Amino acid sequence: MNNEMQTNKREENVPEKLAQRATVVPAVDVFESKDELLILADLPGVTKDKLEIHFAKGQLTVEGHLDDFAPEEVPFDYRRTFTVPQGIDAERISAQLQSGVLRLVLPKPAALKPRMIEVKAG
Amino acid sequence: MLTRFGDIDRTFTAMDQLRRRMDRLFDEYEPARGRDALRGNLADEAERSLFRGRFPRLTLSDAGSSLLLRAEVPGLSEKQLQLAIHQDVLTMSGERSPDAPEGYVVHRQERTPIKFGRTFTLPCKVDPEKSSATLKNGVLTVTLAKAPEAQPRQISVKAG
Repeated sequence: MNNEMQTNKREENVPEKLAQRATVVPAVDVFESKDELLILADLPGVTKDKLEIHFAKGQLTVEGHLDDFAPEEVPFDYRRTFTVPQGIDAERISAQLQSGVLRLVLPKPAALKPRMIEVKAG
Repeated sequence: MLTRFGDIDRTFTAMDQLRRRMDRLFDEYEPARGRDALRGNLADEAERSLFRGRFPRLTLSDAGSSLLLRAEVPGLSEKQLQLAIHQDVLTMSGERSPDAPEGYVVHRQERTPIKFGRTFTLPCKVDPEKSSATLKNGVLTVTLAKAPEAQPRQISVKAG
């Protein structure tokens, strides 16, 4: 009897969960050159107005909402989060969406670019 | 030559583990993604296995007088896609041009393959003359008009 009373109490304290849309992780390619990081993401069916890109605390989150589903389909959104190296400037991140492919360019600040260290004969 | 129960049990456990590891292996290679991952309408395991792990992901639904096919083909243009219909067999093929920039280090590459082809049997015969296809935002929508003999027909119920 004690167990029963305990579980009831626990259920009352847990807050109501909001109904959330299922999310699907889109396929991505990540490339790096000495000047920039390039992310290509497959987001078929997503248009510019349904795309959200957040960058906070070194985490870049891409979210694409879809609204065209057949009646028997389960609706979902595309969502993926990336950890980006420190020092990437949010202001200089550029995004391009074409044919359902998102192209994100993250220019590297001077501090992250590889530097040649000269070796002087001593 | 008695077979001990313990041995049989261990054999089946081992086979079970092997099967599970093989399943995981395929999942890692190409995890269910996109519309496939949440397909609620294809309850048939056989049908589902047809679509798993293939590019492009697609859904096929029945819209009464036509079949509606939607395929996810991000990054492709009309020129790179071919659709062929023969009676009730549909073949979708194409080539996705690689967009990996030269001289870049590859950290992750999930957007494959480059050349693809898929063939499957439609639930009924379709009329290619009356079918159309549009490509928008990386989604190909094909409306396949059902052949006259496959159209749904009303059967009137007479009071007896």
